[in-house]
Order: sequence, then C-alpha cells, then structure tokens
Amino acid sequence: MLSRVADNLYWMSRYVERAEGVTRLVEVNRDTDLEFNTNENRRDYWQSALSAMCAVNDFANDEFHDHELFILFSKNWSSSVLTCINMARENARMVRDQLSEEIWVELNNLYLFMNSPSISEKFNSDPENFFRRTIRFSLVFQGLTDATIHHDEGWRFMSLGRYLERSDQTSRVLDTLTLLGEEPSRLDLIGALRSCSALSAYRRQYQGALSLRNVADFLLFSRDFPRSLRFAVSRIDTLLHEISGVPSGNFSNEAERLTGSALAQLNFSGIESLLADGLHESIDQLQRKLIEVGQSIFETYVLLPFEIKNADVAPMVQRQMQQQ
Amino acid sequence: MIPNAFANYQTENFFDEMFQQSDNLKAFDYYQSIYERIGNLSENEFEQKKKQADSSFLEHGVTFTVYGDEKGTERIFPFDLIPRVIPDTEWQKVEQGLRQRILALNLFLNDVYHGKKIISDGVIPEEVVNTSAHYRKEMVGFDVPQDIYIHVCGSDLIRDENGKYLVLEDNARCPSGASYLLENREIMKKTFPRTYQKMSVRSVEEYPELLLRSLEYLSPRKSQKPVCVLLTPGVYNSAYFEHTFLARQMGIEIVEGKDLIAIDGFVYMRTTQGLVQVDVIYRRLDDEFLDPLFFNKESLLGVSGLMDAYLKGNVSLANGIGTGVVDDKVTYAYVPEMIRYYLGQEPVLEQVPTYLCWRDQDRKFVLNNLSELVVKSANESGGYGMLIGNVSTQNERDEFATRIKECPRDYIAQPIISLSRHPTFCPEGVQGRHVDLRPFILYGDDIEIVPGGLTRVALEKDSLVVNSSQGGGSKDTWVLST
Repeated sequence: MLSRVADNLYWMSRYVERAEGVTRLVEVNRDTDLEFNTNENRRDYWQSALSAMCAVNDFANDEFHDHELFILFSKNWSSSVLTCINMARENARMVRDQLSEEIWVELNNLYLFMNSPSISEKFNSDPENFFRRTIRFSLVFQGLTDATIHHDEGWRFMSLGRYLERSDQTSRVLDTLTLLGEEPSRLDLIGALRSCSALSAYRRQYQGALSLRNVADFLLFSRDFPRSLRFAVSRIDTLLHEISGVPSGNFSNEAERLTGSALAQLNFSGIESLLADGLHESIDQLQRKLIEVGQSIFETYVLLPFEIKNADVAPMVQRQMQQQ
Repeated sequence: MIPNAFANYQTENFFDEMFQQSDNLKAFDYYQSIYERIGNLSENEFEQKKKQADSSFLEHGVTFTVYGDEKGTERIFPFDLIPRVIPDTEWQKVEQGLRQRILALNLFLNDVYHGKKIISDGVIPEEVVNTSAHYRKEMVGFDVPQDIYIHVCGSDLIRDENGKYLVLEDNARCPSGASYLLENREIMKKTFPRTYQKMSVRSVEEYPELLLRSLEYLSPRKSQKPVCVLLTPGVYNSAYFEHTFLARQMGIEIVEGKDLIAIDGFVYMRTTQGLVQVDVIYRRLDDEFLDPLFFNKESLLGVSGLMDAYLKGNVSLANGIGTGVVDDKVTYAYVPEMIRYYLGQEPVLEQVPTYLCWRDQDRKFVLNNLSELVVKSANESGGYGMLIGNVSTQNERDEFATRIKECPRDYIAQPIISLSRHPTFCPEGVQGRHVDLRPFILYGDDIEIVPGGLTRVALEKDSLVVNSSQGGGSKDTWVLST
C-alpha cells in the first residue's frame, strides 16, 4: 500500500480515538468539578486537565475563555474535539478509496455536525447529547472499521493508530494522578477510571475501596481490559509483526524493538516494582518509549531509507503529532 | 390538460428540450413518461425528493471546492432532478460526430509534433500553432504510446434556436465531470425508478471500466498486468472528489506527486513494502505542474524526473503532453478543416462560427460589433475571461476592445447563440434554463463514448454560463435505447 495512505489511515483513526478520549475527559471533569465546587476542598480541576493535555498556553491565547468550550471547539488548539474530527476527516478524504462508504458517511456526518454554525449553543443546551453523540461515533467508527473493510495492511495501520493513541491517553490520565501534589481522593480515582471507560470493569476486578495502587495496577497491567496499557501495547506488538511478517519475539525495525521492550516490562514487572521505582518516573519512561514507537513507524513505513539520513525527520512527524 | 408542475411553464422564444414549438405546451413523445411523472408531483413531493437528493450528495461528500474562498468550503454541485432526454437517433448522430472529431484532433496533434504537413499544405497557418499557449516544443518528434494524445476528451455541445447540435469547445487536457455523471445517475435511479425503467434509458455505469481499459492499453510493459495510478494535485483541488471517485471505481491507487519518485528513468510509487514501478499515470494535473525539472520549477505538485521517464517511454501519461493546443479557441476554429484534411469527410457536427481577432478583417468586425458577440480569451476555461456582448456595460466593452488590440492572438469572438433551454426546478417553480452537454470520449484500442454525458445547466435566469464555478448546476442525461 502507498506509504502516504498508510500514514493517513494511521492518523485518521488516531484522531478519532483522540476525539473520544478528550470528550470523555470533558464529560468526567464536568462531573468532578460539580462535586468539588460543593465541597469545601476547592481545586481547579480544569487547570490540571489542561496541564495534562499540555494546553495551558493554548488556552490562555484562545478566543474561548470557557474551559469546556475551549477543549471541545477551539479552532486553534490541535487536540480540541473539533480539530480532531476535522483532521480525521481531512485524512479520510485523502484515502476515501480505502474506506467503506459507511465509514465515510459516519465521519462526514459528525464533521458536518461539529462544524454547524451554532454548535456551541447546541452543546450548551444539551451537553449530554453532545457527549453521547461524539463518543458513540467513535465506537461506531471502530465497529465499522472491524466489520466493513478488509483486515489487510491498511486496517492494521488504522488499528496501530487507535492503540497508540489509547496507550498515550491511558498513561496521561494515570499520570495526572501522580501530579496532584497530594494523595488522590476517591473522586480523583473515579474520574481517572471513568476517563478510560474503566469504572465498571475495575469494580468487577477489585471490589471495595478504591486505591491508587489498584487503579494504577488495573490501568497499566490488566491483560484483558482493552484500554489498559498492557493490552494496547500487546496489540501494537502483534500488529507491527503482522505488517512486517517478522515473527513475534524478533524485531526488524526500531518500532518493533521498542514495543517489544515495553511489552516485556508490562508483562514481567508488576505494580510493586513500579511503585518502588516511582510511579510518575515509570509512566513517563513508558510514555516516551511509545512516542518513539510512533516516530519509528513513520521512519520505517513512510520515509525511504535515504530520506531518513538526509532530512530532518522531526518536523514531518510533528506535522501530525502535535499533542506530543 | 397540462399537469401541475408545468402549469405556468413558458418556452418563450427558445428551443426547448422538452417541449415542441407550438402554442400549446406539448412535450416531445420521447419525454412523455417523465413529463407526466414530474408534472403530477405536488410541489411538496418535489421539494421532498430534492432534499433527499441534496442531503445524499452532501453526506457522501460529492462536493467540489470553491476557489478564492479561504475556508476551502466544499459545496455540492447543484443538481436538478428533471432529466434531459435524448432519443436514440439523435444520439447516434452526435456520437458519430464526436468520433470523427477525436480522430481528427489526434491526427492533428500527431502532425503538429511531427511533420507539420497540415501547415506546409497551407490548411492552417504556422503561427496559430507556434503561438498557442499550450504548444510544447519538447514534444516535437516524440512518438507517444499507441500514437494517441487524447485519451479522455470532454467536448462541450450546445443546441441553437433550431435545436441543431453545435460543438462549442473541446477539452483535451483534463476534462472533469465524469463522476457527477455517474453519481447523478445513481440518484435518479433511486428517485424515479419506475419511470427510468419504463423509458429504457441506456446505462452509463461502464465508464470507469472503459477508462481503465484505455489506460491499460498504454502500458509500456506488456508482459504483466499494468500498474495504473491516478495522479491528483491533492485534496484542495476543486475536482478532488472526482479523482477519488474514479480511482475507487477503477480499483487503482490515487497518488499525489509526493507518492511518486523517478529514479534513472523509471517512475515508482512509494509503498509500505518498498518501491513499485508505475506503468501508466492518469494525470489530473496540467502539463505545467507535472515535473519541476521540466516545466514550472515552483511546482510542488509534480514529480521530478517524470518527463525524463516519459520521454524514455518507460511510463505513459494520459492525456499526453501538449494536447492543450487543441483547447486553444483559435485552433478550434480550424477543426472542420482538419476533419476534411485528415479524414476526407464533411464534419458531422457543426460548430459555432468563430472570428479570429488576429485577422485584420475579423478584428475590425469584432470591434465594431462587440455588443452582439461573445468574446472569449483563447486559452481560458471555466467560464472565465469572457465578454457576453448583449449584457455587457460600455466599460466592459471598452476594456475588452483595449485587450483585443493589445493581444489580438489571444481573443476570438462568436455570435451569441441562444442555447436551448430545459425545464428546471427553480425557487419560483419549474422554469426554462439554458443547458449544454459534455459527453466524455475515451480513446484506447477503440473509441468509446458512454451514452449522453453531463448536462450542465445555468441556474440563473437568462444566464448562458453553465460552469460550476459560475453558479451552474447539472442534470442527468437519459439517452434512450429505442
């Protein structure tokens, strides 16, 4: 398949996944913010959400002065839900021949909705509907991807985009808990789980009281929960080897090597050793490894060997990888 | 009794595609079924159907980009639900005329890039060719694959006040519109299924297959299945939808310049599994942008080294390089002569009489009669660079007069033809609007023309400009099989 097409497919599904994650974050934050405002313990919850998304400066300079509207509809910030949907569609337009008509129609419909003239009023009058629609779109998109197109190379690049984005989001959510400067409260932990759509899955595994240790254990190491870091990295590992045809356990490029090493860590270490090394430091390290994976995928499959030597790759990757 | 929708319809003094010229409104026999079907729809039902069609276009992204609009707005190409009907015998003659024309145009191109016999025989003056903006001297002496220059041609046809078909211009570079023709048909089949069936309309869905076949015919590598690609300027091009549509229908890759790389006289596409050699490029990019080493050095859309590979015969291009000479409206004036010269036949389709401003006598006439003529720039398309005399202001006429005197070679003039009209759904009800017809002619191992073409309609009352960039819309064209 064309290298550019692989790149477009990868980013299309990454942006869809990101739109879902950011929407969930706003939905959860709204709730948490409500609770906190009625509590004596007032913390600026939006501020920490913005800093987790590296968006503090963007917010300060944006035309939207409302946190929610900024995160959802900013035209200037690269990870607002609106930008994500626009970017996803932009990428999709370039590869329409690879997509089923159903996928295109769903994406295009959400795009038309997001860009309709009075979207922020529509949101304010019925936020629940907005959240539901956006999240449902992402889920339908995934379903259609799995059910209406060939599970060939293009599909694998789409899945790669989805799982890399997901691993990034999950690690980010977890990282916010380590950056509070105090022991996370019960509401913080619930918020983190809900941001990963993981609350009920978590409860089935750990009944009773919530603890940072258990939440971190679940979001990092669960073998079967599709938004845990371990699950995502293991999918990335499988997909990379399916694309290259090299058996698992070996590696033929940097992306495979880094993923293999991250997966080994997630498979064979555990929450205790991570806590001993420092939760924040460990997550940070994993996160950096995954960013490198994204970069190596680009170098391996999109660029030609001589271009990597000649060109400064970073700006080309960053063209799309703005959030990181 | 005249049905509902047409109750207030006036043909006025125009040739009407649907109605005979008589005092009472009487539809031509071949229009009867659709006339009754549409006539008996209530306004509400019609609105309903129109809404459905429009939202289906928008949803499926059947759009074009409007230039000059910084938001890069995508619009749907306005679509009118009342189809144009062409009876079988009428179409046969048109088809015959178009075949003849593309043969002559190809022979002409071959000639001007080889022996220039038509010039030495005194049929066409040398300066007409040499001064043409799209003449490519680099092509002199180069043998194009299969001796075909124009593989896809879109010739615009109009009908005069007596209903006679006239060729208005030829588009031999990158004619667009075929995707709308196909999409319009899909919508119409859903909107009026029974009438469609009853009238035995000839199908058009074969187009992508025929196009692919004429592309494969050009492949320099005969030993294996040719690798064909569609080269697009990219997602911001106004015809981008069409490019993806056709690529998808043909099952070939749609590539941008940056997806291709030329190495040692061969062209490859960059894939995740390495480089793959490309045999045929259906390029939707004008000559100037194809290769920055060869043409426009600023072009970021093209592929460096592509022309080298082309001239070495290792990759084929459709259409060939240098076909723009025949789009030149001065060359156009000589096409009837070409047909006589190369084929020894009389033209089956007539064309619009054309005054060439570089001829002293013609220029004098044109300058004296600006308000009764259409003046066109010889090398513009899309309805730009045009003066329609009878609706122009004195200022506009003065401006054109100055331009004509400065560069007589760049201007031609034609009498104002009152194009035929077709009932069209307008905000004020069904009214007559001017139409033209763009058929698509494919030239591979045989000449293929899908029946009909894209009927374009000037939606504004009395307007003669049908181009989508100037507020035109389109209709489905039904060629009947009996």
